[in-house]
Amino acid sequence: MTSKQWLALFLATLLLLGACVLGFNYWVDPFGVFNHTSLEWSSYEMTRNPRTAKMTYLEDHHQEYDSYLLGCSSTSSFPVESLNKYLDARFYNMIMYGADMLDVESQAVYLLEHYEVKNLVVNVYLDNARDYNTLPDPARSYAMPPETTGENPAAFFADYLFMDPRLSFDKLKAMRADTILTQPFDVFNPETGAYDKTVRDAESVGNLDHYLENYPVFANYPPAHNTTIEAAVTGTLDSLTHIRDLCAQKGVNFLVLCAPVYADYMAYYDWDQVKEFYTRLAQVTPYWDFSYSSVSFEPRYFYDETHFRNCVGEMALARVFGDDSRYIPEDFGVYVTADTVQEHLETMMQASPLPAERYTAEVPVLMYHHIDQNGDDSTNITPELFEAQIAALAQAGYTAVFPDDLAAYVNTGKALPEKPVVITFDDGYLSNYTYAWPILEKYGMVATFFMVGSTTGNTDHYKDTSHPITPHFSFAQGAEMVASGTISLQSHTYDMHQWAPYESTDQPRENILPLAGESEEAYRAVLAEDCQKIRQAIEEGTGEERVHVLAYPSGRYNTLAQVSLLENGFDITFTTEVGTNTLIKGQPQSLLGLHRYNMNEAVSVDQMMSWVSPARG
Amino acid sequence: MSFTTLPFLVLVVLSVAIYYLLPHRVQWAALLGASMIFYWVGGGKTVLYVFYTAVTVYAAGRLLGHYNDLRRAAPKEEKKALSAKYKPYRQAVVLVTCLANFVLLYLLKYWNFTADLLQPLADVLSPGTTLPLSELILPLGISFFMFQSIGYVIDVYRDKYPPEKNFAKLLLFVSFFPQMVQGPISRFDQLAPQLLAPRKLDFTNLKYGIQLVMWGYFKKMVIADRAAVLVNTVLNDPWSHSGSIIAVGVLFYCIQLYGDFSGGIDITRGVAQLFGIDLAENFRRPLFSTSLTDFWRRWHITLGAWMRDYLFYPLSLSKPFGKLGKFTRKHIKGKLGKIIPTSLATFIIYFVIGIWHGANWRYVAFGFWNGTIITLSLLLAPQFLRWKQALHIKDQSKGWHLFQLVRTNLLVFLGRYITRAPRFLTAVWMMKETLLHPNLPDLYNGTLLTLGLGKGDFLLLFCGVAVMLTAEWFQETRGHIRPALEQRSPFVQWLAILVPLAVLFCFGVLRADYISSDFIYKQF
Repeated sequence: MTSKQWLALFLATLLLLGACVLGFNYWVDPFGVFNHTSLEWSSYEMTRNPRTAKMTYLEDHHQEYDSYLLGCSSTSSFPVESLNKYLDARFYNMIMYGADMLDVESQAVYLLEHYEVKNLVVNVYLDNARDYNTLPDPARSYAMPPETTGENPAAFFADYLFMDPRLSFDKLKAMRADTILTQPFDVFNPETGAYDKTVRDAESVGNLDHYLENYPVFANYPPAHNTTIEAAVTGTLDSLTHIRDLCAQKGVNFLVLCAPVYADYMAYYDWDQVKEFYTRLAQVTPYWDFSYSSVSFEPRYFYDETHFRNCVGEMALARVFGDDSRYIPEDFGVYVTADTVQEHLETMMQASPLPAERYTAEVPVLMYHHIDQNGDDSTNITPELFEAQIAALAQAGYTAVFPDDLAAYVNTGKALPEKPVVITFDDGYLSNYTYAWPILEKYGMVATFFMVGSTTGNTDHYKDTSHPITPHFSFAQGAEMVASGTISLQSHTYDMHQWAPYESTDQPRENILPLAGESEEAYRAVLAEDCQKIRQAIEEGTGEERVHVLAYPSGRYNTLAQVSLLENGFDITFTTEVGTNTLIKGQPQSLLGLHRYNMNEAVSVDQMMSWVSPARG
Repeated sequence: MSFTTLPFLVLVVLSVAIYYLLPHRVQWAALLGASMIFYWVGGGKTVLYVFYTAVTVYAAGRLLGHYNDLRRAAPKEEKKALSAKYKPYRQAVVLVTCLANFVLLYLLKYWNFTADLLQPLADVLSPGTTLPLSELILPLGISFFMFQSIGYVIDVYRDKYPPEKNFAKLLLFVSFFPQMVQGPISRFDQLAPQLLAPRKLDFTNLKYGIQLVMWGYFKKMVIADRAAVLVNTVLNDPWSHSGSIIAVGVLFYCIQLYGDFSGGIDITRGVAQLFGIDLAENFRRPLFSTSLTDFWRRWHITLGAWMRDYLFYPLSLSKPFGKLGKFTRKHIKGKLGKIIPTSLATFIIYFVIGIWHGANWRYVAFGFWNGTIITLSLLLAPQFLRWKQALHIKDQSKGWHLFQLVRTNLLVFLGRYITRAPRFLTAVWMMKETLLHPNLPDLYNGTLLTLGLGKGDFLLLFCGVAVMLTAEWFQETRGHIRPALEQRSPFVQWLAILVPLAVLFCFGVLRADYISSDFIYKQF
């Protein structure tokens, strides 16, 4: 090979390698800046940088939306579903973490000029008074797309072509590690644009001490001091003015919301500075203020130190759109104008936590199974003891309630009786019909029976086997009970509480958990089908109005099961964990994973009474 | 402007292109332009120091040349008288030029060190005075270009060659950009003619240049920069590590230093070769040195040669040394009396080499370490010879050769304790730790993996060093690698392009310290 040939080969190889890197970065596109569909994974790309990836997403999907919600990360928790309902619109949540108002302005201008926009909602967070025009970071997580900034697109795209290919490689690795549930690398829901909070929204929230244990940041709030910056305040308000005027010019409905701020975070700022910021904000535009109220003091309304929960966003939007059907704390959300701002801020300053009894309730739940003369099993109880227990409850002034009553308390704020108790029976034994129902009727108590669909009406044999079974009540008997109004029939799954020794399959489903080696997709399909079957069976077979409550068979569950059940409409769940329950108004997750006291022949009346007596003095 | 940045590569590519496009007469101007850009980008206004040195040595050269010409033009019989007449002037010119440069170097590089030393004295003599400290930035490569320039002045003084009359051409000699950062220290009569010669595009030069540059980048980026991660972790805070880990740190420092320095020189020489310029060799496989003296003939060769030609010989041959020699031979019997002047000169040389590296006691100690070992070996040479004979060791035997290699490298290794420790006393402490508290389990209980390098990095370093040593062993024992490679099939030759490029990209350009960047919003 001559030297000339060698040089040519060298140059060609160099170009080839360069082309490989560029091609790889283009093909994998971890930031979603190149609009192509190979390896498209919007959720990942939005997590890398929501600013670029959402713009790319909208290029293909903007016809599906006609309204936009803009702002920093707390914007995510104003659910677009609620906005869609109230405004009859199709909202997209543009939330960008770490966004300042300049980012929002760039985005708004682009959206207004390029897409059809009916409504534009902007979230103003307290930190907008401190951060404006912050520099982009080297990790590219805050870079705005060139079409919104006027930056030279060639330089912008070159930066992503020539970047460290390991960033692209990371996306491939994440693709392998991806699961149905959210992971740190795919926190966005591309269809709504909001954070995918399915996991955090399916977790059980109740007792405050437990919550502080799980999220210690609230117990030990990091000390800090923030100060507003004049340039940031001016910049934020100028950007807002620009957006407001552009909306007016284009006839777009413009709405400003001020997101709830956790009380300890609010305390980072000097009150005078906060007041000045909000006063000047009111000169620019009227706004709905949710920033500081009793909600700000309740950690169970927050995911973490700066992000309020979706359920709070729902309350906020219900307030804005006058939805009376929901519980909303009285001091939560005020419409503020230039005229009312001073008066409002004076009141807002006085915000304080609500007394616990105003918005929380302690509710004990009893868990029975089979009633039998032979009460020697860990779950059996004799009719005599059962009656004694119910009589004692009645005498002590307890009122048995249905799960729906708990839901009404949480969702609409409807009061519970003074001494509420929930009585439940698992598995659907015939003894519930023969013994429990009459006794409950006798004492004016109500109860919920969690029945297993596949064994309903089995009186002699387990399903179609020859194995003997403790008799189960039939749909017809169930219908009788439902009609009486004393009994609610709910799900113990259709067929996910199998009795292993009697099943012919290798892998019986003894509980709701996935089988060993089962794929997430297969499991979710099985669970969805089971939910649908038990709902149809009970509703059609017994006339039960709405099946949406479930007791976990054997008390077993995991995160994927919790999430899937919620998606299938089961929004109240019971476990076998022991203890009382704290219900929180406006926090529907306090209906998930409810604890129960296991009742059997060994539980004396006194023992039971000590369990159900209110823990609070 | 670091060799490992994109702007440097762009500068090289552009200047090579312009160099070969220009008419032959002015080709050297492209080199001067590139050099000025290089220095301006890398050092900003400190380019003025380069001009300062260039102006002083230019003037000195012209003056010395003038005296030389006068002498040469004189009739034969007057030459001796004229020579004697001009000698003081010529010496004065050299002295003034050396002072003008070295005083500046002293102020920039060594004043703060001396000021710290003198401060207690000042406190006694005149309480309340604080000796002013220099806040000037040390200009890029100043020690290199000043020594190179002074060498030129001394050569002209010795009438080795006539001075350069064109200032711009001399400026190019002073500032030729590939060698600005870490040498080599070139000689005018070797470098200048090459810088100024007209040159046609020669593809073989380009090819060899590129190959040498790639080899240099491999040593620098893949080996040295990776080893540096562990070195910094361990030796910036030796107190937190056990003796064996400190030893590993120093070993890695040896690897880092050699990879970085010799890699840098390879890049320098490779870039120069792109212009058809053959720069002096600065390293000749120092790992294969058989003695410390041999090591200094193979490591940083041009610095050693400079010291030899411009310091050691003048010193040894000077009148005071001659007198000293006579004195010691008379009064001290045996070998010792003979070698005292040489030893003293050796000590002085290594002291200068030590502080040439920087203003710090540890460099002084480093100089003494080398001076002492070399003097001792001179002194004890007869004794060693007797032992060798007693043990029937043959000079040619492989075992003896290996013993020499190991011994020399061990001495070099110990010397590195001194140069890399934060302070001299820490170096002593580190050696003590290595010997007394090595805590050997640290070498295999996973501690090594907590020092900033992962398993892959260790594997890569091991392979990299193995490749480097194999190549050097091949060169040491069989000769050149490249002609051997050219005998192979085109496919193999292509692999010899692809693999190094891919390795350079994957393990050099893509830095070892990459951490898969964190996701901003993790609280899902």
